[in-house]
Amino acid sequence: MVLLALVTLPFWAGDEYKLHLAALIGAYWVLIGGLNLVIGYTGQLSVGHVGLLAIGAYAFAILAGTHGVHPAVAIAISGGIGGLCGLLLGLPSLRLPGFYFAMATLAFALIVSELILAQTALTGGGVGLSVPGFPEPFDSPAGTYYLILALGALVTWLTWNVARRMWGRGLIAVRDSVVTAQAVGVPVFRAKLTVFVFSGITAGVAGALFGSLQSYITPDTFIFELGLFFFVCIIIGGRGGIIGPLLGTAVLTALPELAAPLAKLGTFFYGLLLLIVVLLVPEGIGRLFEIVLERVRGRKVDSMPVSPDLARLSAAVRADRAT
Amino acid sequence: MLTILVSGLASGALYAAAALIYNVMFSTSKVLSVATGHTAMLGGVFGAWFISTLGWPIPIALLGSVVIGGVFGFLTDLIAIRRVLARSDEHLWLLSTLALATMTQQAVALWWGTEPRPFPRLIPQDFTVGLADQKYWLPVAIAILMALGLELFYRRTLYGKLFVAMSEDAFAARARGIPTDRIRALSYVIAGAMGGLAGFAAGQLTFAYFALGLTLSLNGFIALAVGGLGSNTGALVGGAALGLLSAVATYFIGGEYQNTVAVGLLMVVLLLKPEGLFGARNVRPV
Repeated sequence: MVLLALVTLPFWAGDEYKLHLAALIGAYWVLIGGLNLVIGYTGQLSVGHVGLLAIGAYAFAILAGTHGVHPAVAIAISGGIGGLCGLLLGLPSLRLPGFYFAMATLAFALIVSELILAQTALTGGGVGLSVPGFPEPFDSPAGTYYLILALGALVTWLTWNVARRMWGRGLIAVRDSVVTAQAVGVPVFRAKLTVFVFSGITAGVAGALFGSLQSYITPDTFIFELGLFFFVCIIIGGRGGIIGPLLGTAVLTALPELAAPLAKLGTFFYGLLLLIVVLLVPEGIGRLFEIVLERVRGRKVDSMPVSPDLARLSAAVRADRAT
Repeated sequence: MLTILVSGLASGALYAAAALIYNVMFSTSKVLSVATGHTAMLGGVFGAWFISTLGWPIPIALLGSVVIGGVFGFLTDLIAIRRVLARSDEHLWLLSTLALATMTQQAVALWWGTEPRPFPRLIPQDFTVGLADQKYWLPVAIAILMALGLELFYRRTLYGKLFVAMSEDAFAARARGIPTDRIRALSYVIAGAMGGLAGFAAGQLTFAYFALGLTLSLNGFIALAVGGLGSNTGALVGGAALGLLSAVATYFIGGEYQNTVAVGLLMVVLLLKPEGLFGARNVRPV
């Protein structure tokens, strides 16, 4: 039902702006889907993925715009560069405990915007760069939307595969107790690093899509608040799930656009939302739905009756006595 | 070159002050609050508002800034720390203080504007004195004063000793009848007041600027991690080292790489001596 609505969206969305918004949600989701594995499953609170997004966007703009590389190749390369930068960032910082890691990623985001401003010859500095669109058949708004929808679905499928199998269980173990995870044989650092590099790749790809949607990027496009926004989407949606963050992304992207007063408050509103969720429902909004559902349907309690096979038992006891 | 060193030392003193604030909060709650730098930001912004807009005399404005900082510290504990610590020992405090920091920063941006505004002169002094200018030595003096004051407080007063006891083992302190919740709230009020004071003193160096908070949280944390978590001497040394290094790096390779250099310092220290220069080596908890 939802899938059908998503696929047919260009035909009933009405105006192009709503379609653009949907495409933007999709581009964000490509990043957040990967980041969800890092924050939601592994519990590594990275606030600096906006840096990786910026790297992806600039890589795409420079490759496809300045050097005329085919956009499809450019997307793949910006994903690769994003992954490489994720590796470089993850290698030292993933060894650090919680707050240290968050600060390291925050610093990374600041460093990236510093470097973008400094390397004027490559990135245009504060003036910015224009980003080319996609070639046929993706050059219309609907085409771009389908491309992003396909990539978003791919990322969702990949993360879902990771999450429900052995890897996902290992990641959750790392989040809940590193010591326990180590004791049962989860390669903690390698697991964290792999997931982080994956999120770097998706962030690079998302950067390419995002840059192309924006059609012009400056260092101010990638302010720290955007990184905070990704972070809030996941926390609000609920850690340890995929549907929750997906809904969080869609709602949080669309809400300020549809309700004008919220747009003015912008980041303040995200902060308030984050605070409320952390204080009242740390499991995320998804948990609220579950609670309401339980109230309505009545809680399902697993019952596991134990019925001993009395005849066999007494026979065994008797046989034991006889000897 | 001397100018570079002096201004580096001054901003280093501000980082050291932020690191001291981290230390005060960390001692009683084991929480590193993201909103640390925002206390100093509030001190600077409200100080400028009190003096320039409301026309208060400077001592009253100073008192006002300290009170604002203290109230903010108390609110930090009330809103972001108390419930989260009561619930579990998960890292939720990182999220709640981050949320609080964001809200504070954005509220100030909406109210005060996003442009840095000048901070008035505190002591009558000619602008031609150069390096002896108050904007350089005021932060340094305040940072050293705060470190000395904390040291006296920890050693000579009963409340200070309670702080030390809680930093050793909060659970045992509670079992001994110390009202740990109230002591923690007190430590946040003190930390906030220190932030207000530091922001007020450094106002002429940093201007009254809404985005100062996050920069200061980051740089103060780097100073703290370099100097060693929990050590006040370490906070001073780390802050001075970071400020001087940033200033020298700015002089030689340009101001664009300031954060890069700061984080580079952090990484080198964490690789060579993970507990920091003056920190106590902590045992891995199992």
